[in-house]
Amino acid sequence: MRRLTSMSLTAKVKLILLAAAIVAGVALPYVLSPFLVSVVSLALVFGLFAMSIDLLAGFAGLVSVGHAGILATAAYGVGYVATHGGGYVAQILAGLGVGLVASIVFALMAMRTSRVYFLLITLAQGMIVWGLSIRLYSITGAENGLRDILRPSAVSAYWKYYYLCLAVLFVCGGLMWVIVRSPFGYGLRGLRDSEERVRMLGYNTTLHKFYAFVLSGFFASISGVLFVYQNEYISPAAAEFLVSGTGVLMVVLGGVGTLVGPVIGAFIITLIENELSAYVERWPTVLGAVFIITILFAPNGLVGGLSRLWRRWTGPRGRGEPETATAEEAAETEPAGRSAPSHQISTGGGK
Amino acid sequence: MSVDFFLTQTLNGLSFGGLLFLLASGFTLVFGLMRIVNLAHGAFYLVGGYIGFTTLLVTGNFWLAALVGAVAVAVLGTFVERVLLRPIRGQDMPEVLLTIGVAFVLGDLSLAIWGGDPVQLPIPGYLSGGVDLGVVSYPRFRIFVAVLGVAVGVALWFLQHRTRVGAIVRAGVDDREMIAALGVNIRLVFTGVFLFGAFLAGLSGVIGGTFLSLVPGADIEILLFALVVVILGGLGSLPGAAIGSALVGLIDSFARALVPELSFFTLFAPMAIVLVLRPHGLLGRR
Repeated sequence: MRRLTSMSLTAKVKLILLAAAIVAGVALPYVLSPFLVSVVSLALVFGLFAMSIDLLAGFAGLVSVGHAGILATAAYGVGYVATHGGGYVAQILAGLGVGLVASIVFALMAMRTSRVYFLLITLAQGMIVWGLSIRLYSITGAENGLRDILRPSAVSAYWKYYYLCLAVLFVCGGLMWVIVRSPFGYGLRGLRDSEERVRMLGYNTTLHKFYAFVLSGFFASISGVLFVYQNEYISPAAAEFLVSGTGVLMVVLGGVGTLVGPVIGAFIITLIENELSAYVERWPTVLGAVFIITILFAPNGLVGGLSRLWRRWTGPRGRGEPETATAEEAAETEPAGRSAPSHQISTGGGK
Repeated sequence: MSVDFFLTQTLNGLSFGGLLFLLASGFTLVFGLMRIVNLAHGAFYLVGGYIGFTTLLVTGNFWLAALVGAVAVAVLGTFVERVLLRPIRGQDMPEVLLTIGVAFVLGDLSLAIWGGDPVQLPIPGYLSGGVDLGVVSYPRFRIFVAVLGVAVGVALWFLQHRTRVGAIVRAGVDDREMIAALGVNIRLVFTGVFLFGAFLAGLSGVIGGTFLSLVPGADIEILLFALVVVILGGLGSLPGAAIGSALVGLIDSFARALVPELSFFTLFAPMAIVLVLRPHGLLGRR
């Protein structure tokens, strides 16, 4: 109780919002229809996927537009073992294993670059996975995909699977929250703000980026495993550029470098796509328009923009607490560096 | 490997390389000057090809179709540069992300307008048919594409190194502020280069539409090839784009013939090798 009273207003609000999210998350299957619960499960899966992108984009300043390649690799790993009669443990280990291997190979290729170079390389990597998925018939089933990848019986009911997704998202989200507040995480921010300076301080920036990529890829692999069991089906559509791009859009829409924002972005995009798809005729056009509008008019995203408003509203009081101030500064305000990651930054021509 | 197989695949590779150079040179010029990575470049290609296709249906003239496709995309590119990219000029990440949004919209709108069935443009009469090369007969048009690629490359080199406009663009690459201070309207130069890059993309759409199908998804697929070209050759380097185009064209044509299941994947190995040795490409500079 004493700890609670000593907390800043901002921290209290955050705690209340977190508690509300947990209560809402647990209560959801009792309130919504089975169809909607499945849609929310998918939103949770994409929330984890978007968070994994944000771990790289928001903290290390490395925007990957090929993460769907990692998600799909893990999903195909599960699917391949499942269609060849492997057990659930083998399926999941295979999925996470090939996802991790893909992440390591991708990381080795991309780790010496940054900014747009990094983005281009990851885009090509993601597209190559897509190319394999439509051509390598013997493993991926090409356009037909792999079917009947059944969930483990313990979570086969839609609401049980929903709770599993929720739990995994909370655990992985918690892990990422710890990672970005660890010395390693602050090292990543250093990379984002000025790689030169971090290198001068004696850090091996290449190795740092390698670890960050592999960690992010591992979380993306987990989302891939959840994804394939959610649909019980995997096809090349999962590896498309559209999926990677949508993941980045979720991050940008929610707020780069906030971790929570990407989950909110994933909810908005997934709910609109699945709930309004009957009314929304041209979905990719809508996505593209949202992308353009967000970047031009809301570069901080929803969470970034709202927390700015909140800080302005609470005034100096919110800033007075050093603890929250550092956490928030790091997460939500503009880093001053030239080479910072996102559209939060107004400089950085990158010459 | 027999001689005719080898010859045919080499020519296939070089003509595909010619097309890739048309596409990648615009991409790399825009990056070199403006530091904008235009991921809508593949969509520009597709839209150009489709507009050319429709023009050809109406007028029956291939060269008019090529011109209309290229000019229409140049106008589209000018809109993207002036209206959408200008407010965020100089911020490289928002710029590239915005072009992803543009790529989504253009890809989807061309699906809405031209439908999902693959279309191909007919080749003008005097360029159709084959050329007898002794061991094998090879399509005349494919040879034309390879020659066109080389011709455009030479023209671009001449433009860059022997004309005033080229000097301004090269100076802009090296020091934007300085060239602006000397009284050059650098904004106009930016728009001009972006327009020119879009023009080349639209043109390559019409050319590519004759031997590669125009179909939803072809925009992203051709973008991948252009990306691998510039990753290998070095972003912003015209000679790099030429080397990269030839490499990617040859690798892809032999891979398609020898290991069709892995044909995309074969781009992966050269990319990995180059990235390990030279992260910024063969001729790229930081």
